[in-house]
Amino acid sequence: MSSHREAPGTSQDPVADSTDVYAFVCPDEPSKVTLICNYIPLEGPAAGPNFYEFGDDVLYSLNISNQGTAEPDITYEFQFETTILNPDTFLYNTGPISSLDDPHFNKRQFYSVTRTVGSTSTVLATGLASPPCNIGPLSTPSYATLAKTAIHRLPGGIRVFAGQRAEGFYVDLGAVFDLGDLRPFENLHAFGNLPARDGVNATAQVNVHTIAIQVPITDLTAGSPTIGVWATASRRKVEMRTNPPVETGPWVQVSRLGNPLFNEVLVPLGKKDTWNASSPANDSHYAGKVAHPELASLLNVLYPGVFPNLARYNKPRADLLAILLTGIPAGVVSPTYTTFTGTTQADMLRLNTSIPPSSSPNVLGILGGDVAGFPNGRRVIDDVFTIELRAIAGVTIPLVDSTFTPDGAAGVVTDGLTFDNYLPVFPYLGVPYSGYDVPNN
Amino acid sequence: MHRRDQKARPEAGGLTRRSMIASSAGVATTVAVTAVSPAAAGAMGRAEVPARLIDTPTTPIQADTVVAYVHDAARGEVTVIQGEVERTYRDPALAKRLLAAANPSSKERR
Repeated sequence: MSSHREAPGTSQDPVADSTDVYAFVCPDEPSKVTLICNYIPLEGPAAGPNFYEFGDDVLYSLNISNQGTAEPDITYEFQFETTILNPDTFLYNTGPISSLDDPHFNKRQFYSVTRTVGSTSTVLATGLASPPCNIGPLSTPSYATLAKTAIHRLPGGIRVFAGQRAEGFYVDLGAVFDLGDLRPFENLHAFGNLPARDGVNATAQVNVHTIAIQVPITDLTAGSPTIGVWATASRRKVEMRTNPPVETGPWVQVSRLGNPLFNEVLVPLGKKDTWNASSPANDSHYAGKVAHPELASLLNVLYPGVFPNLARYNKPRADLLAILLTGIPAGVVSPTYTTFTGTTQADMLRLNTSIPPSSSPNVLGILGGDVAGFPNGRRVIDDVFTIELRAIAGVTIPLVDSTFTPDGAAGVVTDGLTFDNYLPVFPYLGVPYSGYDVPNN
Repeated sequence: MHRRDQKARPEAGGLTRRSMIASSAGVATTVAVTAVSPAAAGAMGRAEVPARLIDTPTTPIQADTVVAYVHDAARGEVTVIQGEVERTYRDPALAKRLLAAANPSSKERR
């Protein structure tokens, strides 16, 4: 998946498991950028009686580097607090929830937003309400309208939302982790004897918990229009299982996410937890795994004869090093296109805020000729699985090595999915699925 | 949410994550964990005063709880945590006292 359950540690800690990060110039407000990070992978909508929520004991951060050092020059921090109106019932809600302060809404979360620049922290807001989870027609009868009231406007043209949303990342999870099976190509798989077929979206009807903030571009940039973005989740160093529990000590980073699939696919199993606890500025340690990705080798093993040119290519993958670790310098894609943030190798989602939103976005981003999409930031619609799969299969090598001709399969390989449950406005991710409606028979 | 993987795992700083139980190579395996109030800590000082064993503490832990653990018994290093601040001292006497409290049947305890 993008980064769902991508490491041993986060797979045991869903509320601190960042699943996807998005950063894009808002199509409806091009003077602003929206930053999103999702948590809690694969939420089944029917999750009562204790529906999903953020961790009160987790510090959620969206980090922005604008000086080219891959250090967090600006950080937006989110901290949650859960309150229970009536502790003498087992019910999440004691009747229909018609508003965020409805007395039937028994278990609620509120959060604060703090902006830190250098050593100066400013609390932007406290006591912001999250919406309830989407339970069903009796409990949350007008969910879309209710959730919309949880979009909070802050001074300075900022909007924030923190709550449940429909999963926007789509992938044929069941096949991909069955020895790299791509159903549209499984007739070519080394271990299979199955006919090619359409992909199955394993995340089609699950939810996530979304933290989204929309800010003016000028709040994020400093000189260069290109910023680096990554999310982190941190926990206190010490927890004592007393009653009530005690958490103390410095915050310790337990989760990190920039580019989709970086930790999941490029970082080896024995280093994933360490990577999650480290800073992007130290990612040169992982450059070797980017320059020689294991998945490229596996493609040749799992699909014998399908990628002969890739199989013969043994140079370091300068295309992937640029896309994922430094950004693409000007002159590679076009004279003006660049996501370059400097020579520091760091896994960050890089967004050139001077590239305007596309009027006809292509889900394949740069591979589809749409320079406003991934890897220039990441929009909610971008099919990052297919983009990265094709890149690893060699389709982006000619950007840096004109002697290489990609295999025909590299330009068409996919897990065969499309998805369209998004909103045209903030917070852009779709209304979450209700537990009443999903699963259905 | 208070689920936690109790297995010690390495973190960037070389200690362990989500657990105070040090298990990495090169660190002495005997580790003591204690929580005391700041006032009590001040009164206790570093003297080798025999500790009185309390079977079950009856008062709740205070919000400003201090947590101390022996980071490296062989080097006499003790880490003290309060709030978001963590400090590690080389204090063999304190380390020895914590180890004795953790193993009340040992020679040090008698």
